[in-house]
Amino acid sequence: MQLNDWQREIEAYLLGQEPTPNPALRASLLSSPALSAEDGLAIYHNAYRARLLEAVRDDYHAVHGWLGDEEFDALAGAYIEAHPSQHFSLRWLGARLAEFIEGYLVAEQSAPLSELARLEWAFTLAFDAPEGVPLSLQQMASLPAEDWPTLQVRLLPSVQWQSCRYNSVAIWRALKDDTAFPGSVLLEQTQVCLIWRQGLISRYRSLSHAEATALQGMAVDGWSFADLCAQLSELGDNAPLQAATWLRQWLSDGLLQRYGI
Amino acid sequence: MSTESACLGYGLGLRSTYYQEILEQRPDVDWFEILSENYLVDGGKALYYLDAIGEHYPLVMHGVSLSIGGPHELDRDYLQRLKHLAARVKPAWISDHLCWSRGNAHQLHDLLPLPYTEESLQHVAARVRQVQEVLERPLVLENVSSYLRSADDQFSEWQFLAALSELSGCELLLDVNNVYVSSRNHAFDPWDFISGLPAQRIRQLHLAGHSDYGSYLIDTHDQPISDPVWQLYQRTLQHLGPVATLLERDDHYPPLSELLAELDKARVFAATALPAEPLCN
Repeated sequence: MQLNDWQREIEAYLLGQEPTPNPALRASLLSSPALSAEDGLAIYHNAYRARLLEAVRDDYHAVHGWLGDEEFDALAGAYIEAHPSQHFSLRWLGARLAEFIEGYLVAEQSAPLSELARLEWAFTLAFDAPEGVPLSLQQMASLPAEDWPTLQVRLLPSVQWQSCRYNSVAIWRALKDDTAFPGSVLLEQTQVCLIWRQGLISRYRSLSHAEATALQGMAVDGWSFADLCAQLSELGDNAPLQAATWLRQWLSDGLLQRYGI
Repeated sequence: MSTESACLGYGLGLRSTYYQEILEQRPDVDWFEILSENYLVDGGKALYYLDAIGEHYPLVMHGVSLSIGGPHELDRDYLQRLKHLAARVKPAWISDHLCWSRGNAHQLHDLLPLPYTEESLQHVAARVRQVQEVLERPLVLENVSSYLRSADDQFSEWQFLAALSELSGCELLLDVNNVYVSSRNHAFDPWDFISGLPAQRIRQLHLAGHSDYGSYLIDTHDQPISDPVWQLYQRTLQHLGPVATLLERDDHYPPLSELLAELDKARVFAATALPAEPLCN
């Protein structure tokens, strides 16, 4: 058999569900007294599934914890079959699990589970995102007063913005800490959770609606500090203080980089 | 075998489990081998520790995704990223495996053996030359453990490696454990393999543990090196002289002290095998 044909047969065999080879592939292999061709093929067949399944499990501890071994393995197996790996690194294998869950389960089950999956994937994205250049409190303290009104910032590359309709953060935390499962609850109002890396440490924090609106305005929509103060005008004289308090918090969290200089 | 490779000494595979201990204790390890793919990322912990550990130890890059024997086009993006990483790491050399890990359509994430035919030889040699042009250095290729044997083989694996090295200029990473595992699975004499390789092309040795399933073995890297592999290692050193040796562990990670003790065992075996040779510093 030509090399390319043989490799096509092996690839089809590994990706297929059936551990028995077709006759052409079987005939292309030799057995030894120690290891038959069928057993040798089965070693690769099992290893392929085990390796990919382990990679998905490693990235989705909470989804796994919620579903349990059997249901998770069925989900991950179906996912791997639908989305075989396209990247040289298994790091990216699980990238589309949340989206896959939406089509795999009925809507009422899939919505909270896919949200949890998105949250977990966000942690992986924050984990190895580029460093960026964090804007520090110290740098802000030395910023000339005349530069404050026009100051613009953006989120650092590791910051992941997750809008949660369910109590996914509480579920994630409970499964991580191995404490009582809180049960899935639809929140009264969508909540923003930020996931990011500060130095080498992965962090997360839920934001109030007002803080999320302010951060979105400044770090995503391009408001200047003066714009932020203007948006908070209903607070009257307290607007600059509230804006400065949030900005201090975002800087000490390590969320921001300077933009437009 | 070059003086440079001889003097790299006794190394460990760098794994994240041991990052902090390595930095704090600076163990008596002559060099570390990194899994290149773990560092082809944009930022974070892995790159931080890579830089920090690289300040204190020589590093070698070892990949698993090149798929040098694959049916697909070589992944130029992967090669460029590898080259970029090499500029950061300044490795003593860059290695991967004589295998294919990607098919026509998908990544298969395994070190799959090739049929050892003239067709495979020409296919792989041409690709090795392309890789060496991009990386601007000889590629070092490792023999894999295998559980399949093609009925079309025209060469033994060692004849294939020797011919490939001759044709392409690549160097060899001799994994003594893989030789032993494959020799048991395919019923050949491991010494035929090792003595059949061109000694002057062998850059590095690998040592690792395997799992015994009765009639056959699986290369699991999750336990200590077995006695037959130690014996084969000792005989290999007697045959080759001093060669950079690396201990791999990829699962069931023991305390670092156990791996250091196993590395010392390699030093003792080497001292016994090479009484007249100065040990690597």
